[in-house]
Amino acid sequence: MFEEASEVFENMFKSSFPLTFIVFIPAVLILVSPLPAEAAHEFTVYRMQQYDLQGQPYGTRNAILNTEARTMEAEVLSRRCVIMRLADFSYDKYQKALRQSAGAVVITLPKNMSAVPQDIVQQFMELEPEMLATETIVPVYFAVEDDELMSIYTQTQTSSSSQGSLSAAEVLLHTATANGFQMVTSGAQSKAVSDWTITSLEGRLAGAGGEDLPTIVLVAHYDSFGVAPWLSYGADSNGSGVSMLLELARLFSKLYTYKRTHAGYNLLFFLSGGGKFNYQGTKRWLEENLDHTDSSLLQDNVAFVLCLDTLGNGDSLHLHVSKPPKEGTPQYTLLKELETVISSQFPDTKFSMVHKKINLADDVLAWEHERFGIRRLPAFTLSHLPSHRLAQRSSIMDVRSVSPFSRHGAGEPPAGPHVDVSKLSRNTKVVAEALARVIYNLTEKGGPGDLQIFTEQMVQEEQLSAVVDWLTAQPRAAQLLDKDSSVVSTLEYHLTRYLKDVKRHYVKADKRDPEFVFYDQLKQTMNAYRVKPAIFDLLLAVCIASYLGLMYFTIQNFGLLYAFVRKITQPKTKAH
Amino acid sequence: MTLFHFGNCIALAYFPYFITYKCSGLSEYNAFWRCVQAGATYLFVQLCKMLFLATFFPTWEGGAGVYDFVGEFMKATVDLADLLGLHLVMSRNAGKGEYKIMVAAMGWATAELVMSRCLPLWVGARGIEFDWKYVQMSFDSNISLVHYIAMAAVVWMFTRYDLPKSFRLPVTVLLALCVYKAFLMELFVHVFLLGSWTVLLVKAVLTGAISLCSLFLFVTLVHSN
Repeated sequence: MFEEASEVFENMFKSSFPLTFIVFIPAVLILVSPLPAEAAHEFTVYRMQQYDLQGQPYGTRNAILNTEARTMEAEVLSRRCVIMRLADFSYDKYQKALRQSAGAVVITLPKNMSAVPQDIVQQFMELEPEMLATETIVPVYFAVEDDELMSIYTQTQTSSSSQGSLSAAEVLLHTATANGFQMVTSGAQSKAVSDWTITSLEGRLAGAGGEDLPTIVLVAHYDSFGVAPWLSYGADSNGSGVSMLLELARLFSKLYTYKRTHAGYNLLFFLSGGGKFNYQGTKRWLEENLDHTDSSLLQDNVAFVLCLDTLGNGDSLHLHVSKPPKEGTPQYTLLKELETVISSQFPDTKFSMVHKKINLADDVLAWEHERFGIRRLPAFTLSHLPSHRLAQRSSIMDVRSVSPFSRHGAGEPPAGPHVDVSKLSRNTKVVAEALARVIYNLTEKGGPGDLQIFTEQMVQEEQLSAVVDWLTAQPRAAQLLDKDSSVVSTLEYHLTRYLKDVKRHYVKADKRDPEFVFYDQLKQTMNAYRVKPAIFDLLLAVCIASYLGLMYFTIQNFGLLYAFVRKITQPKTKAH
Repeated sequence: MTLFHFGNCIALAYFPYFITYKCSGLSEYNAFWRCVQAGATYLFVQLCKMLFLATFFPTWEGGAGVYDFVGEFMKATVDLADLLGLHLVMSRNAGKGEYKIMVAAMGWATAELVMSRCLPLWVGARGIEFDWKYVQMSFDSNISLVHYIAMAAVVWMFTRYDLPKSFRLPVTVLLALCVYKAFLMELFVHVFLLGSWTVLLVKAVLTGAISLCSLFLFVTLVHSN
């Protein structure tokens, strides 16, 4: 048959040239056709953080994943993609997988985070910094569970768990029936993003009367942080601080428009970027203002710098200082005013001062005010957190998660950190009252402690909640917000509505010795392909070979069937 | 999956054809070129069918899950052209009945295998994703070989001048069954909601029954005179 075929082909080519084209071009096209991307399931995965800070690498160093899936139950994890559910996740398991040189780790998060029990949320939140503390060679991804992904997980689990104590035949049968999944990410290898710009925003309200007025600086960083940048919504840290800063800007801009209430203090508002990366935005801002320019509000007569960080929850307020303020200084006045306001107007709230010295040996500064402290500016941070080490400040669990409809009381509060708008509003009021008492010097003028400067309607809860809602509608990790992002421009717009001289400040890492380096490929599409092991191919080949043998035998002996049929029909034909 | 899996599927799909070609003695008749001609006729007939369908059967924009019984039946009726095509191939070949039938059926079925199965197998069975449907497709091509042999035999019997009167009815019924087999299968699937393996089994049984019947008729006819 083949000889005949080759003859036919030869004749064909000799006789007509176009025919060659007709036959060969499709053949070539077929041969070079790319493999199809028809997958059993396609889902979005979010990669764990990858960044370098002061030359120190953190997070996962890899993005490419093309391995078979397993769950923790499997005996061999080496070079496999280990799928873990949040409910079963623990640091031991994570470390075990990495020790067994797993090819990748995929952690699935439930779709409805608020339904997750408190202890699991707490546990995971504490694990996040630990996962990031050292660099991980293999890629670590996070995925949000859906039905398909759950079914993949279950199938992988059954095939992973039952391989230990089976006989050879059972294993063979198992390979034929069970599905494996090949996890493949679509993106390229992660690489450092060059020339990434972190944007900070500054705006001011000039005081009335005189040249050399004291300046009060209000600072909040607007970026969020979590184990995966695309999942960091940062509601409490620091969406609450940003919304409070915007509300204060609104309130004081109102006061500063009237001549009678125009105080003799300059107010400088600063929304810093890169706050979770050792306060890069603040650092550059200070350098620009103190080292490079001749005249700046920061250079002379700064009364104090108040940093707002994580204020959306809790019934206590902590004023973090690196040096206890001395009597007679403006900082001391603010401390006293805060105490007065809280004790007289909000007796349910606890207030305390937390003293922690700046530790320059640490890799990362604890609070934002320490940046100012290093530059000898009187500064402190107000937060409801008693310590900077708490995991709430850098967790993907820190989400808004209460739907706008059930915000007021109804609906379960989420288990993790979140923003309670009524508490945020109360804290805003505390700060606003205390600040007002400082700038109008009310205590010295004999104003009573329970004097309310801002009436109920003035601190608008709707406004605060709308800002928090908007801030938490998208992830605000520093890697995702460049100078053109909508978050930055909307914040800028907000500031220009209330403040004068709104300016942007850009930070770019130094080319030769970068302080921070971000990496891309943080969000990818992952495909799960249904696959069978190689042994299955062999098994199938054997089955097909035996089937073909049977076919051969049948066709060879077709004459027998023919004869048999003929024998049956013979009497019939005779009857004809 | 892998190239190996593709090889498996191709072997499963193609080897029965090869075995049939070798064992039926067609190779000894130097019938290769004639089979290619039959294949060319297949292509021509399919083209005509497609043109006809495209012209007279606009795509039915019915709701999902609703089965357009009449439309599908009409479309299946167009498959009558296959019978004409087979007849055309057989009428152009001189020789014994078996020879004519085998050449027509082999050429026809092989052309179908090459045209409608090779490409999906190449694209699908070689991909990363594993799916049983490529193995099923290969099995299906084996079934369709049997189907076309039976169909060619029935057409041959139908076009004979010396067909006895008593044969006329069963041959016509078989002919109709051959043409509407695909339609019937679709109907089965739709009514009984069969799984893909069950469909394959039903198809095999149905085709087996049809070909056995035509074998009986053929044997009776050939050896009666």
